[in-house]
Amino acid sequence: MSDQVLNQVLIAIIAIIVAPFIGGLLAGIDRKLTARLQGRYGPPILQPFYDFFKLLGKSKIATTRTQFIWLISYLVFMITCLVFLVLQQDLLLLVFLLGFAGISFVLAGFSTKSPYSHFGANRELMQILSYEPILLLFALAVYAQNGSFMISTIMENSTPLLASLWPVFIAVLVALTIKMRKSPFDIATSHHGHQELVKGIMTEISGPYYALVTLTEWYELVLVLGLIALFWSNPLWVGILIALAAFILELLIDNINARLTGGLMVRICWAAALVLCVLNILYIYFMRGVA
Amino acid sequence: MDIQGWMLAVAILLPVVAAILVFLIRQYQLRGLIVILTAVALIVNSIYFLKVGLPTEYTPENPIWGTIITVLDYAMLLFYIYAGLSLKNWLVLIFALTQIIPLAWWEFGLGASHALEEIKPAFLIDNLAVLMVLVISIIGSLICVYAIRYMYDHEEHKHLEKSRQSRFLFWLVLFLGAMNGLVLADNLMWLYFFWEVTTLCCFQLIAHDLTKEAINNGARALWMNSIGGTAMVAAMIYLYYTNGGNIEYLTLSNIIASGGTEAFLLLPVALMCFTGMIKAAQMPFQTWLLGAMVAPTPVSALLHSSTMVKAGVYLVLRLAPAFNPVLGMMVAVCGAFTFFAASVLAISQTTGKRVLAYSTIANLGLIIACAGLRTELAIAAAMLLIIFHAISKGLLFMCAGTIEHQIWSREIEDMEGLAEKAPLTTFITITGMLSMFLPPFGMLLGKWMALEAVYAVPLAAILFVLASAATMVFWAKWLGRLLQVTPKLGKKIESLSLSYSVPLWSLFVGIFVFGIGIAPLYDRFIRGAVNNVIAVQHAFTEGWQIVLPDAATALSLEKGVGLLGSYPVVALFIVFAVAIVLPLLFVKLKPQELKPVYLCGEQAGDVDTDEWYAEADNVSKLELGGYYYKGAASEEALNTWVYVVAIALLVIMFGIVLGVSL
Repeated sequence: MSDQVLNQVLIAIIAIIVAPFIGGLLAGIDRKLTARLQGRYGPPILQPFYDFFKLLGKSKIATTRTQFIWLISYLVFMITCLVFLVLQQDLLLLVFLLGFAGISFVLAGFSTKSPYSHFGANRELMQILSYEPILLLFALAVYAQNGSFMISTIMENSTPLLASLWPVFIAVLVALTIKMRKSPFDIATSHHGHQELVKGIMTEISGPYYALVTLTEWYELVLVLGLIALFWSNPLWVGILIALAAFILELLIDNINARLTGGLMVRICWAAALVLCVLNILYIYFMRGVA
Repeated sequence: MDIQGWMLAVAILLPVVAAILVFLIRQYQLRGLIVILTAVALIVNSIYFLKVGLPTEYTPENPIWGTIITVLDYAMLLFYIYAGLSLKNWLVLIFALTQIIPLAWWEFGLGASHALEEIKPAFLIDNLAVLMVLVISIIGSLICVYAIRYMYDHEEHKHLEKSRQSRFLFWLVLFLGAMNGLVLADNLMWLYFFWEVTTLCCFQLIAHDLTKEAINNGARALWMNSIGGTAMVAAMIYLYYTNGGNIEYLTLSNIIASGGTEAFLLLPVALMCFTGMIKAAQMPFQTWLLGAMVAPTPVSALLHSSTMVKAGVYLVLRLAPAFNPVLGMMVAVCGAFTFFAASVLAISQTTGKRVLAYSTIANLGLIIACAGLRTELAIAAAMLLIIFHAISKGLLFMCAGTIEHQIWSREIEDMEGLAEKAPLTTFITITGMLSMFLPPFGMLLGKWMALEAVYAVPLAAILFVLASAATMVFWAKWLGRLLQVTPKLGKKIESLSLSYSVPLWSLFVGIFVFGIGIAPLYDRFIRGAVNNVIAVQHAFTEGWQIVLPDAATALSLEKGVGLLGSYPVVALFIVFAVAIVLPLLFVKLKPQELKPVYLCGEQAGDVDTDEWYAEADNVSKLELGGYYYKGAASEEALNTWVYVVAIALLVIMFGIVLGVSL
């Protein structure tokens, strides 16, 4: 028993240490690839790490103390989500936690009396309104398929989820676009300089705390790709390949689309992605009823 | 009189006596003392209920009590008629007549009154009833204590010539007694009586300020709940006659014991369920609760947290075993729809108390949906939601009242930067809001359980999902307005009167204690209460191995066990501490690290100011506003649809029930 617990703790610690490296590396690939797609040479793959350490060394500047608190809780909740994933815990609870991580970031934006920060926070909220139901329905679809909300059950299942949940998979890709802040759904803030001059919630965040947000985004990237890998969990390497393919696909979509308005994003997510999820879930129930 | 008798007397009659004393005494201190003593007695008594062997029943030996109740029944209904006539509100009059005429015809015209005296037992004390008594007595009493000072400030601000605090506290304290009676009653006639007393208290309290709006809204609460009363009278008469003039099914326990198998019971059960849904302000009857917020804030706190609306959900939950699967499903869908619609409507609200009201309606919808689902997990979720919702909402309404007495406004926009003006109140308010949707706290646990339980009804599941996303948005929006501050160091912490701070801090501590102690709470108490509801429903007692509280078991994977889900409470509280409490304590700023916000170089003045050069270089104050999405989520845009769907759902529900029972 205690061996098992120790093992779990070890897995969690390894995940916490390794995830930022993967996330940073993926961010580097993102920048390089995007640059090539745009006909630029692009920074070295390791540039995100250089940026990160440079930001850490900068002096601390703030407009309010509360913002720092919410940024830290953003990071901690995101790490918790990742730990839940690697320890194969409850998927539904993970989605709730992920939702609150997003809310923490929004509250960080609201904590200061800055117009740009508020713009960003309000838009971030619309993003949450768009992707949160998709992820919750993903958890529900997993339940409909497996009879359990535990990620461990997904891992044990030999038939991949993708076979029966491919409409949900498409919907989760939409959520991934929002989570990665990629066009057409980079409503709140974008990684591209050409999209905006003032960077939403990030406007009032600088130096070490900006580094903290970057770190959180890396965790988030690994986490969301991990969720996508669950669609083919046996053997897991197929799932990881699918997740990487999804990542590359997002980069392509990002570069061939322009940003939409927030209202349109909510409508598309609720009308298209949610309907896909709902039909998928109803189909599973229907087939079970027939059987 | 044995021990149960005394305890019931304290729970029900003591508030009545105290209410009369409070009404007679015109001195502020003495009156306050009586309220406080009553509160203490009620709290101690409610905790003592845990010591009695449950379930147990009690019927007062003296038949005089039955007579008193009958007399008071008619007195109340005659008062409603009087109120309808004097206010010229015909709806009040009509729905008073629809109650009094059938009731009098049944009891005296057809001479059923003699038989009705024989109904036994009068009271049934089981875990579910005790759970409700605890919620009512503890949280309700704290709100009464809060009201002592609040009403004093309220009248100071209004410059009233003649104090009406005595009258206010009379109805407030009486309310607690009526609620205790309501949840303990097993005899339907007695249940109906207590039900009407709560309706009356509610009307009097909403109309307390005697403004035109207050009286209108009070009257609306009265006629809407009178529809419910009418449905209950109809249900009782139906139960009596379809069973051949037999009183057998005029107790809740006998109705429940049938387990939804008797076809003729379905219609009265549906009618009483409808009564409960009106009292719980379910769509399309949400307007009475929204209108109730014109009353002084302790009323809202009481109506929303521990009384009135909780009576509605209690009745639905109590009747859950008597649903048949179709009725259960319809109740679940109705509740889920209210949860969804109210959550979306809350996004567009600009008044703090209105957001709270919609959030209450939404959560009541969730609880009712859980009752409709009728699995063990769902019922447990409903009970946890009742407890945690009462704590959090009681706290939030008292916070709203405290804020109102600091800024004299209820508008969210006026609460902008409240963290600067009243840091302590803001701190408690923010904790209360977080406890409504943040992971380690009980509300989220309940919501999580509800979602894990809802799979049986996919339509309800989808509504749940959309609603919980909307919930996050409206809380975050409001939180954002409170948090917004200009760069400034060193805030002055305001002082609160004891009558405010004791109830506030008690509930604040309650959120954490019950949140962390959910495991023992669940094992020792909720499980028993769930069995009260579920025991006769063998078909639904299939096991659910949900790892609830223990962090160790949740973190160590038990492979191969059919685990539905897991919620590591302790681990989540540790996460909460690391994520929010520690940064709150240890993140510090030096003055030189503080800088003004980015305004494209148009900042005018120093860090402390929030002025900028507007057009033509006029220095003006920076003003930010919240988004309320009036186009997409406002009442004007959505109400038509909400009413159409809600009424359609009710019509379908009764259509099905009639189809089955006729």
